[in-house]
Amino acid sequence: MKVDLSQWHPVASSSDLPLRHVYQGQLWGHELAIWRADDGHVNVWENRCLHRGVRLSIGLNEGSELRCLYHGWRYANRTAGCTYIPAHPADAPARTVCNNTYQCIEKYGLVWSAVAPERSFETPVTLTDTAPLTLRAIPINAPSDLVQKFATDYPYGMVTHKSDTSMTLQSGASELQLFFQPVDSGKTIIRGLLIPQPVDPIVALRHHNAMMTALRDKIELAVSGLSPPRAIEVEFKPVAKDLAQMPNINTAGPKVEFRAKVAKKWITSQNVMAFRLEAFSEQFPTFQPGAHIDVSLPNGMLRQYSLTNGPGQTDHYTIGVKRDVASRGGSICLHDDVQEGDVIAISAPHNNFPLRRDAVKTILISGGIGITPLLSMAQALKAQELPFELHIFVQTKADLAFPEILQDLDALTKIYMGLSPRATRNVISGVLANYVAAQHVYICGPGVMLEAAREAATKCGWPDEAVHFEYFKNSKEIDDKTTFEIALSRSALTLQVPAGKTILQILRENGIEVPSSCEQGACGTCLMTVIGGEPDHQDVYLSTKEKASNQKIITCVSRSKSNQLVLDI
Amino acid sequence: MTQHCDDSVVLNQWHPLSSFNEIVVGQKHRTVLLGRSLFYQQTAQGELFVWSCDNVSFVLPTKRAYGFLWTSLGIPPDELFAVEEIDEPDRQNVATGVFGVNVSFGRAIENFLDMGHFPFVHTGILGEEPHTEVKEYDVDVSESRDEIMATRCRFYQPQASLASEAGADVDYIFRVPHTNCALLYKSSPGYEAEGRMDVIYMFLQPMGPEWTRAHTGMCVIDVANSYESIRYFQQIIFGQDKSILENQFPKRLPLDSRAETPIRADKSAIAYRRWLAKKGLTYGVIPSI
Amino acid sequence: MKLYDYELSGNCYKVRLFLSILGLNFDTKPIDFYPGREHKSKALLSLNPLGQLPIFEDSDAIFCGSDVILSYIAENYDKSGFWYPKKQRLSIDNWMRIADEITATASAARLHDTFFYDLDIDTARAGAHRLFRILDEHLWFSEKRGDDWLVETPFPTIADISCFPYVALSEEGGISRMDFPAIRRWCDRVKRIDGFITMPGIFPTSKAA
Repeated sequence: MKVDLSQWHPVASSSDLPLRHVYQGQLWGHELAIWRADDGHVNVWENRCLHRGVRLSIGLNEGSELRCLYHGWRYANRTAGCTYIPAHPADAPARTVCNNTYQCIEKYGLVWSAVAPERSFETPVTLTDTAPLTLRAIPINAPSDLVQKFATDYPYGMVTHKSDTSMTLQSGASELQLFFQPVDSGKTIIRGLLIPQPVDPIVALRHHNAMMTALRDKIELAVSGLSPPRAIEVEFKPVAKDLAQMPNINTAGPKVEFRAKVAKKWITSQNVMAFRLEAFSEQFPTFQPGAHIDVSLPNGMLRQYSLTNGPGQTDHYTIGVKRDVASRGGSICLHDDVQEGDVIAISAPHNNFPLRRDAVKTILISGGIGITPLLSMAQALKAQELPFELHIFVQTKADLAFPEILQDLDALTKIYMGLSPRATRNVISGVLANYVAAQHVYICGPGVMLEAAREAATKCGWPDEAVHFEYFKNSKEIDDKTTFEIALSRSALTLQVPAGKTILQILRENGIEVPSSCEQGACGTCLMTVIGGEPDHQDVYLSTKEKASNQKIITCVSRSKSNQLVLDI
Repeated sequence: MTQHCDDSVVLNQWHPLSSFNEIVVGQKHRTVLLGRSLFYQQTAQGELFVWSCDNVSFVLPTKRAYGFLWTSLGIPPDELFAVEEIDEPDRQNVATGVFGVNVSFGRAIENFLDMGHFPFVHTGILGEEPHTEVKEYDVDVSESRDEIMATRCRFYQPQASLASEAGADVDYIFRVPHTNCALLYKSSPGYEAEGRMDVIYMFLQPMGPEWTRAHTGMCVIDVANSYESIRYFQQIIFGQDKSILENQFPKRLPLDSRAETPIRADKSAIAYRRWLAKKGLTYGVIPSI
Repeated sequence: MKLYDYELSGNCYKVRLFLSILGLNFDTKPIDFYPGREHKSKALLSLNPLGQLPIFEDSDAIFCGSDVILSYIAENYDKSGFWYPKKQRLSIDNWMRIADEITATASAARLHDTFFYDLDIDTARAGAHRLFRILDEHLWFSEKRGDDWLVETPFPTIADISCFPYVALSEEGGISRMDFPAIRRWCDRVKRIDGFITMPGIFPTSKAA
């Protein structure tokens, strides 16, 4: 029997895919994990978690993510991208950890797929726009060419059409369409459609079920003396080279490699404009809560914005931009110049603020526009029913962004309006007062609030590892007038850093790849280890303890107090 | 089902056949090792015999070690790996049962070394959400002893000791002294101060490249827990792992680094795969491309 | 109430599962079924001469056989009356007979593959396939009628409890459930019953939407 991996076949009935279930299918020996997400989208994935090869069909469909039963890795609806690895809760998994997927289309009560399609799905010529009755599928332990041969005698009517993969029988004004799904070399599933829907569907379903069962028994009797054919050998695709190695620090700088359409632009609160960005033909990469994207603006600037998306919302990115008259012009450009329908360039999501999901309780504290990454976190925690509190500090009610998302989080949210800095500090101290082990706090907001919160956390006994923060900007003035040397311990290279240039720039000018994002000393992406010399810290990212240890440096803004700094690269 | 084995690495080794608890004196027992059907018997005088079912004159060497009958289809080394704890007089060495599992021995060894699955597969026993973190641990491959050690392993266990309700981090040491045998060491309750450890082991008998007979046991100082409760606990753990192991593909352990996606928690598994590849092992594995 | 129990026995699990769903407290006496063969000991043979588990004790009465025990518990402790409704008893008893057939086939295959029992594995597997085909067809048409359970009731009954374990453990005996999608969906529904507990080899499913 000839194996043609490019053929499209039905691999499941729509009714095989209730919510929160995973269907196990197979096509030409390739096992499939087929599941319907809560948003209706049908996923057809290779039935194998790329971590250790465990079947995804025994995994858990949690509505917007599929969770592998072995180690709990979570994969997003649509993209099959990994969103969380429980063994390393502090790391955002590389966005390219992705299970293998197959194209699929749901039509006529069936889900169609192909192992290696050469063309996109074409409706079989015999199907028109009617709503057929989907019959009960019958698996038969025999090869599909043999099953088709026997099926020509199916007691219904004349065979009016035959193809490699299907057969049509006509009886008066009704038609029975049979599709032969080649499961493996020795197994076929007959999937039948009755057109039009008969008056009494149950009677028809029972009738054809009995007829097909009889056909099955006949065929299986015919092959019973023969030895079963050898199963089709499936080659497993090797994993991408970078994923096959132990994870390394991502060494790419900000790249805006995607074109996105501004699908919607709306005022979500006083001074905050929301943007819904959608991809053109390709799928956006998976994000994790806390992630941000780099957005390339028409005025030539590059800015970072956090995603507010909830879990499984993988068909768009939503960001919120606060209009800041004192800014260098990025927010004004987005508010005034970028319109619905415009196309802008964005990067894939980066995550320096990943959400751990192994805390006994998570506390989220936001000030102003700092709400954006915390909204994504809160929605993820809520979906997984993990305990959390969301504390929002704003000036007035009119400043509450994304009220529609807040509405769903209502019960777990406390809003504080118009508090003075001192009162804010007191509230935060109260919120952080009773630290117990395995709690985590995430803070995002203006620099002053972040400083106050970090101080309060330390005072209340929170260990550094449990306190996570994201600065949107570094409002300190950078003094870049010094000149110094940097020695690269592993490359045996010594470089001069003159006034007006940063360590980051000098490294890049010398061919050394360093990752970066905000390039203002706020996000921590360009962090490096120092093994000699005294850094001149000008960032807002490192803690007081970290700065005092002189073992770390934020290379985009910080400089050196000593003549030479030795870096561990 | 059974395929001929021509891999000298596994042929020239000792492999377990049965715990002595399950050998009825004077009765002929039958099993399969590396695709070959074998008979084994213990006489009333205590003599041990292992021979091929197809060829009565193909008699195999025998060894009695750690409560099990071992044999070899080739020329094994003089000694089996050492497990010093077994000779200590105040211990109980308990065979906790032999189970069939439809997967290669390599997959079963990796599962034994893995901690990341504790909260998901052994929920409430060896691990519990949200305490899922696998903290950094150390792996050493000793050339001289030809074994793999994973040390400084720790994982949160709910109800870590019989004394308390609370969970705590438990320290583990994993050891692979043989291509298909693995041991786990953990603090013996009540003997933490002396640094004495209980040993939990799995000696695998490869029946076929994708079919394994797992001999399990423990060597413990414990007197508070009776034999029954120890055995009970071990069987639950194996029962939970079996259904996961049988759903892994490919069934043979892939040795190529590009077959699957490792994370830092998989260090011991990666070391094991490299160690097998270095030995040139071909049975029950998919060699590197 | 006392249950003489073996953790890896599907028949014992039927009783543990039902008692958990009903929220009843009971004592457990773990029996060293393997490798100790304690169920064949004199002490246990005096309770059940057939030398099988589970054995259930309540107020000095001894019950043997999982279907007998399930019926007894349902009749005496199920306040709702949903688990063994009088109107459906014949049908439920019939399904419990089918559950016995499933034990004889699917469970036998599991004993062969997991515990090295010496029996005809091909006959066991073929028998299980035949039964699963019947079960899948029955469940498929029940779904079409809007019924979720084996018997035509809006609630599960002890028929479902009785058939579930060895179906859910079938893959341990080399019997795949890929060809039986209606059975797979029914298994998810059983796992979502309030009070559901697992046993080694059976994992929980995700929460309903």
